[in-house]
Amino acid sequence: MTSPLPDNAVRVTGLSKKFPNGPLALDQVDLAVPKGQLLSLIGLSGSGKSTLLRHLHGLIPPSSGFVEVLGTNVVAAGRRELRELRRDVGFVFQSFGLVGRLTALENVLSGALGRLSGPRFGTLMYPKALRREALENLDRVGLGDRAFQRSDTLSGGQQQRVAIARTLMQRPKLLLADEPVASLDPESSAQVMDVLFRIVVEDQLTVICTLHQVELALGWAQRIVGLRDGQVVLDREVDNLDESAVMEVYRRVEPGRSTDASVEKPSVPSSPRVA
Amino acid sequence: MTSPVPTIPDSDSDPMAPEFPPSSDSRLRRRLTGDRIVMRVVLAVFIVAVVWAWRHIEMSFGGLIAGIGDVRNLLGRMLPPKFSDLDDAIRLGFETLWMAVIGTTIAVVLSFPIALGAARNTTPHPAVMAVCRGVIVLSRAVPDLIFAAIFVRAIGIGVLPGVIALGLHSIGMVGKLFADAIEQTEKMPREAVTSVGASKWQAITTSVIPQAMPSFISTILYRLDINLRSSSVLGIVGAGGIGFLMQANLRSLQYDEALGVVSVIFVLITIMEFFSAAVRATLLGGDRTLVGRSVPKFSLGARIFSRFWSDRMKNDIGVRPFDREKIRPPWVGEVRMKTIYGLAFVALVVIAFRSVSLNPGELLGALPDVWKVTTRLFPPDFSTARDPIVDGIIESVAAALVATFMGAILSIPLGLMAARNVAFNRIVYSVSRLFLVLVRGIPELIIAVIFIAAIGLGPVPGTLALAFGTSGFLAKLIADAVEEINPIPREATFATGATKTQEIATSVIPQAMPAIVSNLLYALDINLRTSTILGIVGGGGIGFILFNALRVLQLRTVGAVLITIFVVVYSIELLSGWVRKRIL
Repeated sequence: MTSPLPDNAVRVTGLSKKFPNGPLALDQVDLAVPKGQLLSLIGLSGSGKSTLLRHLHGLIPPSSGFVEVLGTNVVAAGRRELRELRRDVGFVFQSFGLVGRLTALENVLSGALGRLSGPRFGTLMYPKALRREALENLDRVGLGDRAFQRSDTLSGGQQQRVAIARTLMQRPKLLLADEPVASLDPESSAQVMDVLFRIVVEDQLTVICTLHQVELALGWAQRIVGLRDGQVVLDREVDNLDESAVMEVYRRVEPGRSTDASVEKPSVPSSPRVA
Repeated sequence: MTSPVPTIPDSDSDPMAPEFPPSSDSRLRRRLTGDRIVMRVVLAVFIVAVVWAWRHIEMSFGGLIAGIGDVRNLLGRMLPPKFSDLDDAIRLGFETLWMAVIGTTIAVVLSFPIALGAARNTTPHPAVMAVCRGVIVLSRAVPDLIFAAIFVRAIGIGVLPGVIALGLHSIGMVGKLFADAIEQTEKMPREAVTSVGASKWQAITTSVIPQAMPSFISTILYRLDINLRSSSVLGIVGAGGIGFLMQANLRSLQYDEALGVVSVIFVLITIMEFFSAAVRATLLGGDRTLVGRSVPKFSLGARIFSRFWSDRMKNDIGVRPFDREKIRPPWVGEVRMKTIYGLAFVALVVIAFRSVSLNPGELLGALPDVWKVTTRLFPPDFSTARDPIVDGIIESVAAALVATFMGAILSIPLGLMAARNVAFNRIVYSVSRLFLVLVRGIPELIIAVIFIAAIGLGPVPGTLALAFGTSGFLAKLIADAVEEINPIPREATFATGATKTQEIATSVIPQAMPAIVSNLLYALDINLRTSTILGIVGGGGIGFILFNALRVLQLRTVGAVLITIFVVVYSIELLSGWVRKRIL
């Protein structure tokens, strides 16, 4: 492969992934995401969206192909390189990934761990500058006054906003979001997406976000990429996109059934590689 | 099915085709699957084993009835209890408590790294995992009284060998439960912390350990309860605590005095249960669901506590005002509670060390002696006492089998009567509960000592004591299981016009059966461990040889006995684990 193009945050070529005893989850995927772009990945459950996202973060190794994120070859990267890359890449999970027993602030502070060495127990083991930064990030998602509340006493939407504040602690250059609102009600979803959108614009982040809800995707993304059976079947700017092209991605859905009816977890088997 | 399928020869290919077995009789019987065969074989083996064991230890119904008379006699001589050296009893009672605190602290300090090494998701290397699991299995298989007896020989009579024994034996349970708690944490928070670029140990300290913490605390409290019971009998082998006083009273035939000491032990255990219930309710308030139902329902102390405690912590959520300049956790609610408890615990440990005039340096100083005596156990010498060892372990296994069987026979009706949703009426329920609470409040070995005083030496009184203890312990577990069964099938059975007895037989017992069987196997495990030490107090079995060999310092024979105990206890544990997995 040639040297990395400086203006692409993500470059994927010929990426395939086959899980043991599973179907081909990704099939020769090519994708280049320029810096600063807001991209939304859509597709049915099991179409390979989450698998693709996990490859970008080096959480799972590909079967074949090339993945480059922020100039780092993820496939060839060692543990140390991966750790350094992950510091620059924020990840928002569908299930928030908060430690419920810890306060919101402690969860946000854990986002700074990549910059710190050694373990941390409790709020006061983080330097005060970081505590202030964490509080400011909570303010940005509108939860500053909840800093010392146990995070499992927050609502789902609030928890996801705490999780977003946590990724902000990384000062990420690229933000990956895997179904960030799939387990939320419509009102919280809208709130979370608003917060996310405002932040990525303010911080000029590159964003790749998988979504079930097409309307949400059309509302804020600049570019839509549709996956079906592990293949890219749609890749267009939102400006020249019509409803029928989007429906093509969901072709197997019976007519009349809403596209966001299938909000259960993607059934892709995943084996996270914890470095 | 209207589509014609005449060309397909294999009728299996049509899933909707009704399948008629060759004869109608066989349709009335459930097909014998592999698991059901296993279950029958296990049941048959168990019954045969119990019959064999019954004869082996020369248990007889006549003897049982005579034994009841003996116990009644003894109770006559015990009541009313006398408290002539109450001061001594209280002083030794506190010593017992401090020993339990120190022993538990030692266990927790040692168990924490061992558990991190033994849990699949935190271990640094599979080899480390194997070693840590090995340590856990080893220390659980050797009863604390045996550890204590050996350490008394190594470092002399006193509190020190007692706390070391408690600490080392407790690693078996504490380490295992800690490791389980670590393995049961959610993966997502850890993945999230890893995704920000945190290292493995950063991720473990910020996401895994906080999640496991409620379970850790619950385990520590539970073990403290158990260790208080254990430490009250350690005095029998000279390892400190109140057990010594009770033994002395029994030796001089002052049974009423002995009952006075037992009452002190009972009160002590009840007070401890009260405080541990208090700590659970306040400290684990918000995490009750994480810890599950490990709150002891049948402890007197916990019940007294629940009388005047209502869940106040539940309302303790909401916005907490805090200083935006300092950004420190506000000093309210859980934070304050945790800090207070943390400091109180540290203070308790310090007081404990001071009260028994022990310093941690002494503890470390004793380790070379402990190590020296441990190395002198090897290589084990099976030749000098091969036959007694074989006879002894067989007797221990037999005693455990009979005790488990008798305990089960007693505990199933008792458990049903003590379950709120099944008990025939309030009086039956209250009486059964009171009985369970009393039995649970007295350590098993103390019951054994009393039975032996009443009936005389040998495996029969030992077995009866075990059976008595088992019935209380099993009945509690069965009552817990029965209280949690689904009420809908019961209503359905009632609706068909069944009587209460029919309803219990057809809907309560089948629903509670997995729990009953599982607890029965658990009781067998525990009884086997206890029966290996019964010999120390004269209750027959392998403990007697161990104690004798220790007395004459034939340490290599002790090593042989230990290995025998370990092999038998561990294989029974593996066997019962296998059965549990297979039939449940």
